[in-house]
Amino acid sequence: MMACESFEDLQLDPNRPVQAEPSLLLTAIEVDAFSTVQVSAALASRQLIFTNSASDNQYYGWQRASFADYDQLRQVAKLTVEAERTSNDSYKALSLFFRSYYIIKLTNTFGDIPFTESTKGEAGNFKPEYDTQESIFIQVLSDLKTANSLLTADSGDILGDIIYQGNILKWKKLINSFSLRVLMSMSLKENNSVIDIKGKFAEIFSNPEMFPLFESNMDNGALQYLDVEGNRYPFFNSNDLRTAYYMEKSFVDKLKRNRDPRLFVYADRDNNGRQLQETNPVAYNGLEGAAPLSENTNLILSGTGSPIDSRYYNDPINQPSLLMGYPELMLTLAEAAYRGWIPGDAEEFYREGIRASMEFNNISPHETEAYLDHHMNSYVTAEGLRLILEEKHTSLFMNSGWESFYNQRRTGIPELSLSNQIINPGGIPKRWMYPQEEIQLNLQNMNEALQRQFGGQDNVNAVMWLLRQ
Amino acid sequence: MKNFYNGVLLMVIMSLLALIFPEHLLAQNVTVSGTVIDEDGNPIPGVSVLLKHSSTGVVTDLEGKYSLAVMDLSNSLLFSYIGYLSVEEVIGNRNIIDIQLIPDIKDLESIVVTALGVEKNVKSLGYAVQEVAGEKFTKAREPNLINSLTGQVAGLQINNSTALFQDPQISLRGARPLIVIDGIPSTENDFWKINADDVGSINVLKGATASALYGAIGKNGALMITTKRGSEGTRVEINSSTMFQPSYLVIPTVQTTYGNGDNGQYAYVDGSGSGTEGFGWIWGPRLNQIDPSTPSGFVERPQYNSPIDPETGQRIPIPFISRGADNIRNFFQQGLISTNNVNLTSGNEQGNYRISASHIYQKGLVPNTELHNTSFSVAGSYRLSTKISADASMTYNRQYTENFPETPYGPENYLYNLVLWTGTDVDVRDLKEYWVPGREGFQQKHFNNSYYNNPYFQAYEYLRGYHKDNTYGQIKLDYDATENLKFTVRTGMNVYALERTDKEPKSYVKYGRVSRGNFYINNSAQLNMNTDLFLSYSKNLGNNFVINANAGGSNRFIRFRSESLNTDGLAIPNFYNVANSEQPLSGSNSLTREQVNSAFGTVDIEFMNALFLTVTGRNDWVSTLPVSNNSFFYPSITFAGTISDFLDFPRPIDFVKVRTGWSRVSDGRIRPANGSNAINPYSHIQAFNPGVVWGGNPSLIFPSALINPDIQPETSDSYEIGIDTKFLRGRLGLDLTYYRIRDFNNLISVPVSQASGFTTRLENGAEFTRKGWELMINATPILRNDFSWNINLNWSTYQRILSESFDGSDRFGNILVGERTDQIFSASQYQRTPDNRLIIGQNGYPIRDPYQRMMGFTNPKYIFGIQNTINYKNVTLGFGFDGRIGGTIYSQTHEKMWWGGTHPGSVNQFREDANNGLATYVADGVVVTGGNVSFDAFGNILEDSRTYAENENAVNYIDWNKTTLNAEYTHFFDASFVKLRELSLTYHLQAAFLNRSFLQNASISLVGRNLMLWSNLEDIDPDSGVDNLQTPSVRNIGFNINLSF
Repeated sequence: MMACESFEDLQLDPNRPVQAEPSLLLTAIEVDAFSTVQVSAALASRQLIFTNSASDNQYYGWQRASFADYDQLRQVAKLTVEAERTSNDSYKALSLFFRSYYIIKLTNTFGDIPFTESTKGEAGNFKPEYDTQESIFIQVLSDLKTANSLLTADSGDILGDIIYQGNILKWKKLINSFSLRVLMSMSLKENNSVIDIKGKFAEIFSNPEMFPLFESNMDNGALQYLDVEGNRYPFFNSNDLRTAYYMEKSFVDKLKRNRDPRLFVYADRDNNGRQLQETNPVAYNGLEGAAPLSENTNLILSGTGSPIDSRYYNDPINQPSLLMGYPELMLTLAEAAYRGWIPGDAEEFYREGIRASMEFNNISPHETEAYLDHHMNSYVTAEGLRLILEEKHTSLFMNSGWESFYNQRRTGIPELSLSNQIINPGGIPKRWMYPQEEIQLNLQNMNEALQRQFGGQDNVNAVMWLLRQ
Repeated sequence: MKNFYNGVLLMVIMSLLALIFPEHLLAQNVTVSGTVIDEDGNPIPGVSVLLKHSSTGVVTDLEGKYSLAVMDLSNSLLFSYIGYLSVEEVIGNRNIIDIQLIPDIKDLESIVVTALGVEKNVKSLGYAVQEVAGEKFTKAREPNLINSLTGQVAGLQINNSTALFQDPQISLRGARPLIVIDGIPSTENDFWKINADDVGSINVLKGATASALYGAIGKNGALMITTKRGSEGTRVEINSSTMFQPSYLVIPTVQTTYGNGDNGQYAYVDGSGSGTEGFGWIWGPRLNQIDPSTPSGFVERPQYNSPIDPETGQRIPIPFISRGADNIRNFFQQGLISTNNVNLTSGNEQGNYRISASHIYQKGLVPNTELHNTSFSVAGSYRLSTKISADASMTYNRQYTENFPETPYGPENYLYNLVLWTGTDVDVRDLKEYWVPGREGFQQKHFNNSYYNNPYFQAYEYLRGYHKDNTYGQIKLDYDATENLKFTVRTGMNVYALERTDKEPKSYVKYGRVSRGNFYINNSAQLNMNTDLFLSYSKNLGNNFVINANAGGSNRFIRFRSESLNTDGLAIPNFYNVANSEQPLSGSNSLTREQVNSAFGTVDIEFMNALFLTVTGRNDWVSTLPVSNNSFFYPSITFAGTISDFLDFPRPIDFVKVRTGWSRVSDGRIRPANGSNAINPYSHIQAFNPGVVWGGNPSLIFPSALINPDIQPETSDSYEIGIDTKFLRGRLGLDLTYYRIRDFNNLISVPVSQASGFTTRLENGAEFTRKGWELMINATPILRNDFSWNINLNWSTYQRILSESFDGSDRFGNILVGERTDQIFSASQYQRTPDNRLIIGQNGYPIRDPYQRMMGFTNPKYIFGIQNTINYKNVTLGFGFDGRIGGTIYSQTHEKMWWGGTHPGSVNQFREDANNGLATYVADGVVVTGGNVSFDAFGNILEDSRTYAENENAVNYIDWNKTTLNAEYTHFFDASFVKLRELSLTYHLQAAFLNRSFLQNASISLVGRNLMLWSNLEDIDPDSGVDNLQTPSVRNIGFNINLSF
């Protein structure tokens, strides 16, 4: 009855591989990076309200955020290793892109964060130093440029690619379009001579041969949902979205004022308006994000207040999740033209951005043109910045992560309402505090970063480098 | 069969007569008297003197004298006293019978089963053990043997779950002990497969020093379960128990004044919960409001069960009244535990056997839930020749249920649907028809189908099946090669196959999602083989020296496999087969194999049968560590000395033994970071995990735990010292132990900055100290021939301290070096002033605290148990109290009842005002009027110049509760409690009657368990240790009949 096995044989785990093909790593990274649909940003951007409690996102009470994106950066680091092992420059380029993507996400959240010393646990560095936000942006811009140049017709096959199915050109378009997003996010640093934002923006824009950009919604950095377990639209069958999320008043009012057909695909008629035509704006009403919770719930109980459109919880596929889309690029170009960073007509980009967003939301060209012809939406240079950013705010609804909020944070457009209900005494927070774990595990480096940025205090109202003029 | 019933009837009548006429009215004509003395000639008071075959008897007085009238001179007198050998004397023609009693050495030298199944004299043990006899488990039945151990053993803490088929949490000196059945370790920790009727005794080896010979798996002590064998003669025993659950010990109470809805408003539309349905809250309108203008005289509202107006298609309003005040009691049904065992034993000098069959049926509180547990076992031993003897046992056990309830927080939990999220405007009895007419199989009928499940729909359609087949047993051969040398081989196995199924109907609400119908199936199987070989050598060296030595080797091999498969939507409703999946199936499987080879040896040296020195050593080779580090050695040394054999102690002290021991045990198994007991033997291998599958594309992810490739086993050094004493001729016994365990070189998941790319790294490090006291007192305050009272008390403490962190840090996570590790930290508290008042913001709400705050300790200060046995004539009364004093518990029930609006405390004027749109609630707290405060990184105040004023900002009371979950409370409570755990009253049929029947023994007992609770908590029973919306706690009351013939 003795069952003696050799101990060497028992060291082989039959359930898990010890080596990964880059394609297998890429799929998992893509799913995470392109999954950007979240209601938190819609609450913070006054697009939705929540009725189950006073949400920290809606009433600006948030405090700490997490470093969970470093988990993805670990996968990206593994992809880098595998790209080198298989001498595949395409994977190398993609790993540079994803690293840039996650690092920008992190620095937008906190300010200074570990970068050059990050994801070095295997080399024994468990307490990485923080890099300044400025140096992070400089490095990311250079990395994105490298990534673009690494991708060539013979830089190697990309397998396991659920976004572009290995299409190198489309990857280059995404990388360069993303570079423009990063550059625009630094608009307050317009005059920083070290980085030369304007010059870099123009360089990419004016060399479509070297720096191809999105040319239509076909090029979108989009994750297409499937009616398969685990691959469905993230709010499919969600009870909360069905019951407890309603449209915000300023957002609905803007859509109504502009006669924006997106109102009918973003929102549903409220209880009082159920008998009205689906395309009758009167049937749609929003609730004030800054109003007391009971005031809003009372309005809903009396029949006023549009829920989010049912497709967001009833359709397992609904619409793709965008890491970045063509409409956003067009509106970014419009803003760059408005600011004089690039030659060209801001209005043209503006109108193309609107058309692209309408198309993304399956709105007919006829309705789109009617919208563009409405006087509220006509491009007027004096109102250019407001028009462009309000459009961006509309087009980013339930997509592209926190971009709608970050664009507002950068420009103040659109104005987000405040009241005595707001939890944060400083109003709309400018950032998130570092995670609790950093206090326990990397205190010295975190304190150094706090010291050089904010005089030592970790505070949601502190202004990070990116937001200082 | 008819005779049998006549016999039973006769028996009942006779026993009633015996109760009424306890004394036989017989002539008594001779008086016998005398004195009872001990071995030194001193009189012994309290000796029982009994006339044989009768209930007549007396006890000796303070001078040891007795006097007794007898009739039949051929009869005998029985002299008995605890700690002494009983004496039987034929009366004959004597009038005076003086007796000298001889101490019963055996009584002080009881034999217990120690590590590797070696039987040893308790006197020789240098470590703490405590034996619990099998009878403790079979009278007042629990569904599970381990539950029955609650309060019985010093140092053993058992947290009893209130839900059906949930494992109790067991910890011995703060860690989970090994379970050993007939010498074979049972590492899969299935408490349900052990049938209490087959248990002869459980010997608790309290620490590593006792169980070092088991190696790593014995690091935390062991419960040594010895199953019953046959004895001389043939005997059939029937034991039957029925326990009803007629009343609740703890059941949550909800308010019945306000119904479903929000802000005092409610009107049913379509069950989505949105709009006028109030988002699923129970902050709705007042119930039972008078309105003379309606047909019913009450305010009427459209409700889920409103009739539909055939003309308009609209719902006709019906009275909004409190119909469901008793919903919780109306839904739950009376539970039941019925246990039946029949066993046959037979034996002679050559050998013996025992055959036993048992069935336990438990009916759950939730309708349509139950548990069956069936066991068949065969055990026996046989002397094959003068030199060879064999012992074997085999048990087949089957646990099966088609449905047992789910317990964590969420719509799967019955309390969630009943206590938290149903207003009493809904009567649960109206929900019994649970399909929407015309949509059977597709849509459940409920007042809200976004967030909650109709509890009847859940009970009858969401079925969680469990079918487990266990087979376990052992064969042992002993070969007495010479008088001094013995050779033993023992091999045992634990095998199981488990099939788990979940049937999820369409429209079933899960947390956040509505199901499209699914079928989940998970099959797993384990083979666990254990083989020991050893030589024992025993030699009397003369001069009162005896030496015993053992040497041997063992092998343990575990193979586990599992496969799971699930549908993605069901094409045909209620058809539960994976072939019925709407979309492609998902599945996974795993296989693990684990092995430990060992060599071990022990040497016992005893001197004058009073001083004992034992040295043990063991070396393990394990598969769960890298081969380079897979061999390790652990020693132990213990000493026991009976001082009272050498020193003369004053009179009342009979026996004094001191014991002390030290051991080192290492463990090469890596526990999951979540503390679960499921050990993956490949945890030391850094590898990729499967990631998301997207559109058929598989993926891999690298895990967040970094593994040091050079990890080594973790080690515990245990030290204990104890004293065992007996006084007053054994009527008082006291046993005290102090232990201290140093856990070092631990295999720990060290948390690291997530920016390093990892959240944890697996390393050897940190040091913890576990320590505590254990006290056992046994007292017999009353001891007469027909009346005795025995008390067993146990009391113990336990603490675990962080004595050293990792890499020289002064903390490990939130715990500072030198502090207790069971501190509870909460990250969701509100800011408070230094004198603990809530700080309220400009909006009238409290301000969130960004720092984690310590809320208390998980572990109690001490735990205790008191067991009493009172024998009076043929009646035995047993009762036991136990409890845990100190410790903190978080009550999710309390918090969520305040949140949802069902807490009775929420019925007040503020709520009424809120329903009328008025914000009148001014929270008890302060607002900051000036000054500044600065914190260090851990939230400790550095400088504070804040000034305060009383809060005057009124808020809407409903918003207050919805937003802060009522910040008046932290929802952490004192977990102390004391329970009347057990009460049993047993009547043993008179020997005189039994002599005239075919019965050898018969008794009937009235029993109760979980009868009374003293605690400061409302709505939950702290016994379970956690509250994730616990099932109501019930009293178990029933009877037990034991017959043998």
